[in-house]
Order: sequence, then C-alpha cells, then structure tokens
Amino acid sequence: MRQSRLSRNRWQRAIGALALVFVSGPIAACERRPQNGPDEYRGRVLPEPIEKFDFTLDDTEGQPFNFIEETEGRVTLVFFGYTNCPDVCPIHMANIAAVMRDFPFDLKQQFRVVFISTDPERDTPERIREWLDNFDPSFLGLRGSVEEVNDIAARMGVPPAQRVEVETGDYLVGHSASVIAFTRDDMAHLMYPFGTRQADWAHDLPRLATETWDE
Amino acid sequence: MQLWCSAAGGAAWTWTWQPYLGAWLFVLAIAVAYAWQLRRLGPPTDAAARNRWKIFFAAGLVLLWLALDWPLAALGAGYLASVHMARYLLIALLAPPLLLLGLPAAVFEGLERRPRLMAVLRNLTQPLVAFFVFNVVISVAHWPSVVDLLMSNQLGAFVLDISWLLAGLIFWWPVICPVPKWPRFTPLWKLAYLGLNGILIRPVFLYLLFARFPAYATYELAPPIAGTTALSDQQLAAGIMKLGTALVMVVAMAIVFHEWAKRSRDAVGGPTRAAQR
Repeated sequence: MRQSRLSRNRWQRAIGALALVFVSGPIAACERRPQNGPDEYRGRVLPEPIEKFDFTLDDTEGQPFNFIEETEGRVTLVFFGYTNCPDVCPIHMANIAAVMRDFPFDLKQQFRVVFISTDPERDTPERIREWLDNFDPSFLGLRGSVEEVNDIAARMGVPPAQRVEVETGDYLVGHSASVIAFTRDDMAHLMYPFGTRQADWAHDLPRLATETWDE
Repeated sequence: MQLWCSAAGGAAWTWTWQPYLGAWLFVLAIAVAYAWQLRRLGPPTDAAARNRWKIFFAAGLVLLWLALDWPLAALGAGYLASVHMARYLLIALLAPPLLLLGLPAAVFEGLERRPRLMAVLRNLTQPLVAFFVFNVVISVAHWPSVVDLLMSNQLGAFVLDISWLLAGLIFWWPVICPVPKWPRFTPLWKLAYLGLNGILIRPVFLYLLFARFPAYATYELAPPIAGTTALSDQQLAAGIMKLGTALVMVVAMAIVFHEWAKRSRDAVGGPTRAAQR
C-alpha cells in the first residue's frame, strides 16, 4: 500500500515536471529575442528586458532633460559615473567615443550616450560638460540629487552609488561599472560590464542600431 | 610590497614611489656574482681592461635596473604600451651588449668543465640560431594575448622580462664574441646580421601599427594617463619597437664598422711603419 503511494507520488511529480516544461516552453518562446541571435552580441543579453521609463534630470546646460522624449527611438547607452572617477568611467567613455568616432554620420545619429553623474556635489554642469568633451561633445551629461539618481539606477537594475571616504580626506563614489543599452524599441536588452573593449563595442553597436527584437 | 612589477589591476596611476624588492634582489645578485667572478680571477694583469669591463657591466646593470624598477616598470606593466616597449629596448637591446662587453673572457674558462652547458651555449649562440631565437622570442613575447596573460601577475611579468633579457644576450653574443676561443663572426657578417635585424619587419609590429582597435587589453582597460589614448599609445609603441631597434642596430653597425676599419688600418699600417723604422 505504502509502496504504491510512493510510486504514485513519483508519477505525479514526473507528470508535474513534464507539464511545467510544456507550459514554460511557450512562455519562454514569448520572450523577445534579438533578431541577430543572443550569441551575436558581446554584451550580456538581459534575461528580462527593462522598459525605458520616464524621468527628468538637468542636462549640462541646466535645462530639464526628459529621458523618454529625448532618447525615443534611438539606441541609448546609459552609464552612471562621476568625473573624478579614476578608472572605470573614463575607460568606458573613451572606448565608446573611440569607436563612435569612426561611424558614418547617419549611424552616429542613431545613438545617444547618456552619462548620469553619481557625484552631484563635485560634478557641476560645467565640469561634466568639460569632462565629456574630452571624449565626445555629443555625449549627454545629466545631473540630479543622489536620491533621484539612485532611484533611476535601481529601476535600471544596477546598484546605487555609494560614497567611500578615503584617507586623504577626499572621497570616491562606488557605482555600477556597467553600461546599459536601450535599443530602438525603447527597451534595455543588453548590459556591457567593465572589460568591454573597443572591438566589442565596434562589433555590437552597429548591430544594435539595426536590431529589431522579435517577439 | 610587490616583488616584481605586474599590471596594477585597475588602480589609477600615481607618482608615489613603490619599491620592487624582486627587481632589486635580481640586480644585486647579478652585481654580486660579477664582483665574485672578478675577484676569483685574481689581481689584474691589465688594469685598464679591467676598468673598462667594470664600466661596461655597470652601465648594462644600471639600464637593466632602470627598466625593472619604478617608475618605468610600473608604467610599462599596467598603463602604457609605449613604456612597455621602451623597457623592451632597455632589457633586450641595450643592457645585454653592455653586460657581455663587461665580461672578461676568463669568466668563460670555468664553463669548459661543463661540456653540456658549453654545447648548449655554443649552439644557441650560432648566428643563425641566435637570430631565429631572438626574433621568435621577441615576436611571441609581444603578442597581445601573451602580454595580457603574463602581465597580469608578478610571475608572468618576471618570465616576460627574463625572456627579453635572455633573448637579448643570445642575440648579441655573435656580435660581441665574449669567448675569443670560439669561432668568430667576421665583421662583414656582423654588419649583415645587425642590418638584417634592423630592417626586419615582425608581424607583431604591423599588427600594433595598423590595428583598428587597441590590441593589448592590459593597456586598453588601464586607467588613462592624460594626453594619451590606448590606440595612439599602441602606435607609439610600434614606432618605438621599429625605430628604436633600427637605431640600436645602426649604432652597433657603426661601431662594428669603425672597429673593422681600425683593425684593417692597423694591419696595413703596422708592417709599413715597422719597415720605415
């Protein structure tokens, strides 16, 4: 009696697992997949794309910048960083700028690079503009309160910025090292961690400009 | 404290001095071994020659120390490909001939008791073999994936530096001929040997010069140093590699030619003067 109950439980579990496979299969198939195939990209394809959302911060002219309106329909690379950053920020910015410099005008127009400062205390609009101009004058710089920026970062799935005091009395800002890539469908499908090289950007960016994410 | 200088793992460049104990010990060990060898040879019969050896060896050792210690080693290990290449010139092309010129022939007499080591050395320093070994080692040791792999840790960086030094010693051996008993390369062959190495274009040079993107991840992903981009730094490195090598070869050829001309003049002028007396 006990034996038959055990074997019935096993059968129930097996049927349940099969049912799960049949049900989850179509659900997985509903995920939006890149037309080029996930292996086509050197960035990390997000399992759950992030929908572009509405927020407004000040740009380097001190004017309100509405993220949705200003970047609609363009491939938008978002990076959280600060201009006193000694390593990750200038490397990401320099590598993206070096690759985009060689793009034909029409292709370059399809991109927006948005740098969101995680250090509003030191990053004045003028300072951000001057710093970004070292890489590419078309790069956009945004500034808001720490709380606003951290809220935006959280909604984009990256950790919030954290101030770290150093011995010299100065401070560093810990922040995400990833660039978030929103594509023309106004969804973020990819992230580019630190270590992404110019050859990787040159490989992925033109593809992102033509990508249509299939349902 | 780091023993040997490797890539700094993303730390921003700072002009704060850092000691590299391994580099000091390495240079010190060579200096002590050299002093011991000179002492073993006993009191000098030719004091001028002995002083000349010491000066050459000390100059070679100073160049080696400059390349292995802060700041060149630190900049070259993790920040600038151009400094990495300048270090290569110092370690493989400038220090070895001076070190070899600083070695008295008597130092090698002890090797005669070790026939196997002698055979390996003789085979390795055959001009054709030396030329081949040097160029293969240098090409491999500059290949981006090899540099990225080795520069990330102290042991790898040590292996890379030592491979440059050994390849340089092997390359310069047929030109300097530190063992007079061994068959010598004629001056004409020396000029051809040096000239060929000067004009030789290694694939790695072309790759570094014409690559669309930075080849070395170590330098591309290093905290930037003002006024440089990874690609321009890499092109400068290629220039240093090619022009620096060519310049060293031209200077060496000029010295060989000068010595050759002097010896020919002495050979021709010697008996004539004697006859005049």
